Amino acid sequence: MLSPLETTLLGVMMMVIMLGMGASLTFKDFAIALRKPQGIAVGLVCQYGLMPALAFGLAKLLALPPAYAIGLILMGCMPGGTTSNIFTYFSKGTLSLSILMTMSSTLVAIVMVPLTLAFYSSGIEGDWQIPRENVLQVLVVLLVPTLIGMALRRWNANAGAVIEMIGGLLGVLVIVFLVVSWVPRNIGLLLSTGFPVFAASIMLGLIGMALGYGLSRLLRQDARRARTIAMETGIQNGPLGVLIVVLSFTGTQQQEVLLIPVLYSLFIVLTSSAVTVWFRRISTREELARDNAKIGALAAG
Amino acid sequence: MDAVSPYTLKPWLAQYGSHIAAELQAPQHGSLAALADDAVRRFASQPGFTTVTPNGMNGSLRYEQVGEMSDAFAVFLRDVLKVAAGDRVAIQMPNCLAYPVVLLGVLKAGCVAVNTNPLYTPTEMAHQFNDSGARVVVIIDLYADKLQQALPQTGVQHVVTTRISEFFPPLVGPIVHAVLKYWQRAIPQHGLSATTLPKALAQARALGNVAARARGHAQALTHDSLALLQYTGGTTGVAKGAMLTHGNLLWNLAQMRAMCDSHITDGREVVLTALPLYHVFAFTVNFLCMFAAGAHNVLVPNPRPIGNLQRAIENYRITWITGVNTLYNALLSEEWFTAFPPRHLKAAGGGGAAMHHAVVARFEKVTGAPLVEGYGLTETSPVVCFQPLNAPRQRDSIGIPAPMTEVRLVDDQGIDVAVGAPGELLVRGPQVMQGYWQRPEASAEVLKDGWLTTGDIAVMDEHGTFRIVDRRKDMILVSGFNVYPNEVEDALSQLDGVMEAAVIGVPDARSGEAVVACVVKRDPSLDAAAVLQHCRSVMTGYKVPSRVIFRDELPKTPVGKILRRELRDELRAATAKAKD
Repeated sequence: MLSPLETTLLGVMMMVIMLGMGASLTFKDFAIALRKPQGIAVGLVCQYGLMPALAFGLAKLLALPPAYAIGLILMGCMPGGTTSNIFTYFSKGTLSLSILMTMSSTLVAIVMVPLTLAFYSSGIEGDWQIPRENVLQVLVVLLVPTLIGMALRRWNANAGAVIEMIGGLLGVLVIVFLVVSWVPRNIGLLLSTGFPVFAASIMLGLIGMALGYGLSRLLRQDARRARTIAMETGIQNGPLGVLIVVLSFTGTQQQEVLLIPVLYSLFIVLTSSAVTVWFRRISTREELARDNAKIGALAAG
Repeated sequence: MDAVSPYTLKPWLAQYGSHIAAELQAPQHGSLAALADDAVRRFASQPGFTTVTPNGMNGSLRYEQVGEMSDAFAVFLRDVLKVAAGDRVAIQMPNCLAYPVVLLGVLKAGCVAVNTNPLYTPTEMAHQFNDSGARVVVIIDLYADKLQQALPQTGVQHVVTTRISEFFPPLVGPIVHAVLKYWQRAIPQHGLSATTLPKALAQARALGNVAARARGHAQALTHDSLALLQYTGGTTGVAKGAMLTHGNLLWNLAQMRAMCDSHITDGREVVLTALPLYHVFAFTVNFLCMFAAGAHNVLVPNPRPIGNLQRAIENYRITWITGVNTLYNALLSEEWFTAFPPRHLKAAGGGGAAMHHAVVARFEKVTGAPLVEGYGLTETSPVVCFQPLNAPRQRDSIGIPAPMTEVRLVDDQGIDVAVGAPGELLVRGPQVMQGYWQRPEASAEVLKDGWLTTGDIAVMDEHGTFRIVDRRKDMILVSGFNVYPNEVEDALSQLDGVMEAAVIGVPDARSGEAVVACVVKRDPSLDAAAVLQHCRSVMTGYKVPSRVIFRDELPKTPVGKILRRELRDELRAATAKAKD
């Protein structure tokens, strides 16, 4: 786990990164994303339909003890995380769609998280507290820097591009920092954890991405949008999950429930980085293929 | 010539209507240097050029800055390097702010510019510098290592280097340079003893009063002074330098302006230049014509992938675009372009290679602006024909000849063919080159009584609209029948599994020549049988390829024209090897 100072620092960095992400966007990008609003709807279905069910299924399949199962299901019910936007940016996905999805899933989290949690965790003890001010905080952290970044870019393209680069650079640094620092600092936790918990923590993100991609393609989203939705689906708001557990449980129970949200948050950075590299290659290849596309294919598309 | 020839009657003049002037006054400026000075004076504080990188970083020069800097570069050439009037200066860079400064500087110095493709290999560079006798090379740092290899084999005495981020604002310039150098590793180390462009300008300014000095150097220029050696590979092999004078280029930009006058307002246009300025089309149309009109030129160093144009199109009020078929096609497959096409676009021009009418139709539907196709050659500065902007346009045509341009179609005996019959296209006009540099035989072969033989086969309809049928040199003679590769290629590209195709002729013992199709697949499952079956269903037997060769890609020129000659050479080499 991170210390409060690190958490605050990470929060500030997150805002700078989102400033950079915003500087890479125009209002037209959002308008294009909203021209096909079904993308956002598909994303919500993935987020609150697929993911909780997947978490529930994984918990049953791996026969996790109740405390771990609760942690896993909780992660499944979380809205999309802000890091998904950074990964989408680097994988050359549709960043505007990613941000809209994070915002909408966070917004409806106030209603959907208690609903899905109650449904999938019925019979398990627990008094869930959904911290609304934190949901609001996520929205503000996401929206305000993004809007400032966009305005900066509109005001001066050079300033926008410089900020975009700084945000992107910081994004890489933060991701690299998380990736290289988490093994040593969590070595004890890792050694004492059994296979089913590992499997659950890793598979929730990976299978989530795969299912998100499959469902999006099935619902006729183009490949680039589907990759964006896949990222968004697999990447959950880990810190929010941790917070909810801390608010809702105490003592040893808290420690046990916390295990999977913590492990998930660690592993998702690793898996997302790998998937980003892969998706980025596909996107680059598609860009060049579009250059060579024939007008016939275009008229049909 | 026969008095009843349909071409002497110039039936196309009726299509000029009130929008295009049929008679043009001789250009008022004595040289391109004078024209540039005039434009700088008229549009002094307006933005002249902006280079836009893929992430939107940009640098700009106002007209007055371009004027002062090009004066300084002229002084650097003449008074610092002591280069003589008429000496050749090679310019080798993609679209960037240094281009207009250097090019105008060379012209103001009374020197001759040699536009050179920066992607050339050291061998090609050496040939071009030796053939032109270039004394100075101004090159982008991206390719300085290749120049270092070529240099010992040439007579080049001075090298000036520049960079993509030249004249960019502080902070932004170094960032762009650092990204290119350390992240993309696109800037190689080199051991050339070279002057950087800013240092060259500084050395000139140290002499004092660059404006007056430059004026002095440009004074002797007339319409007959050589301005440009524009190399053309042609279909015959060795690259030759077409000699274009100040007069040729001044006339051609005036002709182009006359064709487009209704859609150009002085000082108000913003033109997107994605085609390379070292190519004659962008050089005359985007650079010279638009500079004279006080336009703001938005330069894109590299339009591939096409997403590199997004920032340029979003951030500037683009009113004019020029491009080739592949560029427009690529734009139309981008959602950011089709969802929000440039709102201020007045017109777009296409050339270089035939435009596909499906691309034209869709581009016009998406943008609401006309996309007109033109025809020209390096040897004609380049514009010969353009589709009129204010008249109904005919699909697949190259439009009508520009004002003051004579066009004839002749048969093998040099006799004018009838309306509707294919014949070789000949051009005469003030934009026709003086000949090929130091190649009197090659020049005499194509230039007779001022008429330039283009090697293109065209037909003219009764209204004077021309349509290119094919390149004469690409025409395939199968058992005495003419096969035009374009026609076969069109048929091939109808197949969805075909990404692109080129058709060439190869020597054949039975039929004289045989048709060979080189095909790039889009659908990996496509096989030769399917291709041939399709061809048989749409074409007469003798046009159907005797062989289909699948390839990963086709050799192309920088502007995307398919190089059939290279395909023929490759095939010939492969056949020779097989016989060994």
